[in-house]
Amino acid sequence: MSIIEFRKTSKTFGQVTVLDQVDLNIDSGEVVVLIGPSGSGKSTLLRCINGLEQITGGDLVVDGISVKSGNANLRQIRQEAGMVFQQFNLFPQMTALENVAFGPRQVRGLAKAEAEAQALALLDKVGLKERARHFPSELSGGQQQRVAIARALAVRPKVMLFDEPTSALDPELKQEVLNVMRQLAQEGMTMVVVTHEMSFAKQVGTRLIFMEHGKISVDGEPRQMIDNPPSDRLKDFLQHV
Amino acid sequence: MEIDWSVIPSFLPQLVAGAKVTLTIAFWGLVIGTALGFLVGLMRAYGNRVVNALALVYVELMRGTPIVVQVMFLYFALPILTGIRINPMAAAILSIGVNAGAYIAEIVRGALLSIPRGLSEAGLAMGLPRWKVLVHIVGPLAFRRLIPPLGNQYIVSLKDTSLFIVIGVAELTRTGQEIMASNFRAVEIWTAVGVFYLIMTGVLSLVLRIIEKRMRIL
Ligand SMILES: Nc1ncnc2c1ncn2[C@@H]1O[C@H](COP(=O)(O)OP(=O)(O)OP(=O)(O)O)[C@@H](O)[C@H]1O
Ligand SMILES: [Mg+2]
Repeated sequence: MSIIEFRKTSKTFGQVTVLDQVDLNIDSGEVVVLIGPSGSGKSTLLRCINGLEQITGGDLVVDGISVKSGNANLRQIRQEAGMVFQQFNLFPQMTALENVAFGPRQVRGLAKAEAEAQALALLDKVGLKERARHFPSELSGGQQQRVAIARALAVRPKVMLFDEPTSALDPELKQEVLNVMRQLAQEGMTMVVVTHEMSFAKQVGTRLIFMEHGKISVDGEPRQMIDNPPSDRLKDFLQHV
Repeated sequence: MEIDWSVIPSFLPQLVAGAKVTLTIAFWGLVIGTALGFLVGLMRAYGNRVVNALALVYVELMRGTPIVVQVMFLYFALPILTGIRINPMAAAILSIGVNAGAYIAEIVRGALLSIPRGLSEAGLAMGLPRWKVLVHIVGPLAFRRLIPPLGNQYIVSLKDTSLFIVIGVAELTRTGQEIMASNFRAVEIWTAVGVFYLIMTGVLSLVLRIIEKRMRIL
């Protein structure tokens, strides 16, 4: 069953059409890698899934709930779809542990002790148990992004959305984040990932989507598409990343 | 006339009484002003177009007119318009309140809008309602940035109370003038009055410095 269904979904900012009647079904367990030129609408597509951007046409259904069905339902969707941002966006006034425990306490209503025990386990999972008491400003970019992944996982989402999670990182720090993501995929997490990391797409992705001008232009198996691009545009694009 | 500092103790009790009035006006005025400022600041930052426009009209009205005109209006014009008479003390407190409220509103708005959008989005993306994002994420961060300009406004408002000499409130400056009228010791009195203000603003500055040191600006 599809966990995310775009149904002729459109998004316009004023006169500009950023998503143009997108049809797309993503099933549970898929690892969808989203690529495309700058401005093609990748971030917007991702942000429509959890309602950070409001769609302007068609419908978009996540885990059986339409993004258009009101604020309470939207919050439900957001609990099912965790997001990881390019700029990490950790809460600077909280330690790593508090960042991760924050969601479960505020959203799922967990008691402090329970939330922190869970948070510590998640930090352990991303290899940062020893850094639990550090503030974001005391962590490297790669460490911050791993905390951000743990923070999103803490709410127990069914889907994880990643918007260029390694683009703000130095090359030597990218790998530690990609490793955590790979592990997550192996555990069966449904993931939608905007990235320029083609080796990640090949090794971890189960599906590759190439976007152009707010439309899906190519959709297929990552290995085949990268090794034998079915369109000249994709071929051209791949040569430049 | 010779300058004679030894006369100061003789009018010290009067000055202390005046300073108390000044502090009373500043304290209650700023309680009102801070509450009003937070409310209007929130309206400016998060209100829809109508709410925002209403808030802006208030802010511009207060920032665009001198505080002396505001207190004159409250004390002399309002009774004629509404039939409600208020005493000078109440007029003074209210003036500080509505005047400081406008400036504090802009301080609050600026602090709220200075917090990176990504942080709100991170909160929203976990399924938090907007008010929780404000209370737990944006609010605490904005508050840290708020303290220095807020403290500055408190000092300005404290000094603004001296303008209420125009409606005859027996605050510090008025007291100084009354003593002057009886003994003509301008140098001694205005020096003493100045020192009184310096002590009050100095203590306020010090407290703010300590709070700022305690809280890391993030
Ligand atoms: N809030 C907004 N207001 C107006 N236009 C916007 C807004 N957000 C995005 N856009 C426009 O929508 C288009 C698609 O933006 P989007 O961020 O989705 O692209 P992208 O594929 O993620 O690009 P990049 O690779 O640069 O991140 C761009 O032309 C952008 O200028
Ligand atoms: Mg983008």
